[in-house]
Amino acid sequence: MSHAVRRAVQAARPEHTTPAAQAQPAEPAYQGLVTRSIAFAVDAAIINLVAMVVAIAVGLAVSVLPLPNSLDPVLVSLGGLAYLLWSTGYFVVFWSSTGETPGDRLMHIRVCTADAQQPPTPLRALVRLGALVLAAIPLFAGFLPILVDERRRGLHDMIAGTVVVGVTVATLSSNRGDAEAGRG
Amino acid sequence: MALRPVVGAASLGRRLERHARKAAAAGATEAALAGLDALLVSRLAAEAVDRVVASALARSAVSNALEGPIVEAVARDVVRYAVFDRVTAELVAGDALEEAPRTVMASEAVADLTDAILASGVVEQAVARVLEGPELERVVTSALDSPVMERLVTRVIESQLLDQAVERLLESDELWVLVDEIAQSPAVMDAIAQQSVGFADQVAGGVRARSQNADTWIETRVRRALRRRPASGVHPPEPR
Repeated sequence: MSHAVRRAVQAARPEHTTPAAQAQPAEPAYQGLVTRSIAFAVDAAIINLVAMVVAIAVGLAVSVLPLPNSLDPVLVSLGGLAYLLWSTGYFVVFWSSTGETPGDRLMHIRVCTADAQQPPTPLRALVRLGALVLAAIPLFAGFLPILVDERRRGLHDMIAGTVVVGVTVATLSSNRGDAEAGRG
Repeated sequence: MALRPVVGAASLGRRLERHARKAAAAGATEAALAGLDALLVSRLAAEAVDRVVASALARSAVSNALEGPIVEAVARDVVRYAVFDRVTAELVAGDALEEAPRTVMASEAVADLTDAILASGVVEQAVARVLEGPELERVVTSALDSPVMERLVTRVIESQLLDQAVERLLESDELWVLVDEIAQSPAVMDAIAQQSVGFADQVAGGVRARSQNADTWIETRVRRALRRRPASGVHPPEPR
């Protein structure tokens, strides 16, 4: 296990750190495992809450319809597919649009590309979500590089080329100002 | 002895002469006063006085008097004999002070004067001056700081009048209509929403700070266990 972590850390380590790069004062505040876990838990709560409400509503509606029992596996499969689409769309849309899911916004963090500090494209967001699942499969070992990486990147961040940074108060104010200007 | 009748006659003569002189003097005085009264009520006297008052001589005389030391002398006498105090005492003792305001208020001149003042905008200027100036604040501050105001407020609060007023107010339907209107007003709703958002933001801020401290704590120990140097790209939590 520690071998894998070490390899992941070595892969994530920057190749060369030039003096010019060291002199850059505006290095973003990379966010750690606990903060990101809380944000993810909030997102999971939102996703499951919405899914439960929808499932209850659909289940009640279906229960009054005279459908044969043989359709139950189909309905369950459709429900599972809907849940998969809903959860995937949730992360992909939020990451690729603003870089922030509601949980991220609560914790004042956002996902952005490692090079341009911009929200990832939908494809890259989809890759990140897939890599997130992969990182969770080996007992969440794919998240351990966050603890030792210089930029606090997990396996999914390394694969998708993203980082998770803190949102400063100035950025928040700017975003709110843009939103209000858009509404006006 | 032989001269006694002569002396008596002389004495009688003197008494008669004194009586006659007194009677003549009294008659002359009465006649002079009657003449003076007749003169004062006559048209001629009034005309004469008017002419004298309107004449340059009178003006010159008044000017000379005002320029001279008589003014200072009169002022000294007024002070010495407490003229103002005596006049004020008489005014206060009598009905003059009560009657004068009634008479003034009953006259049309007051209404005309009030209309003219209101139309001239003097009231607005005075109110603006009072509100903008420091005098009102000073007066209010001194009034609020005074023990008299404190005692007054205490008496009002302790009095049954306030309890009764509150009781009647609570029983009135208009109050609850007003409360409903205020509670449903956009300003109150916004204030409640902002308070809720502020509280949620405060809680979230606390969670953020603690999670970032936990991040730092965990990473420090993991790096120490792996014998790695502390991360350079990790920033401490931002103060909020």
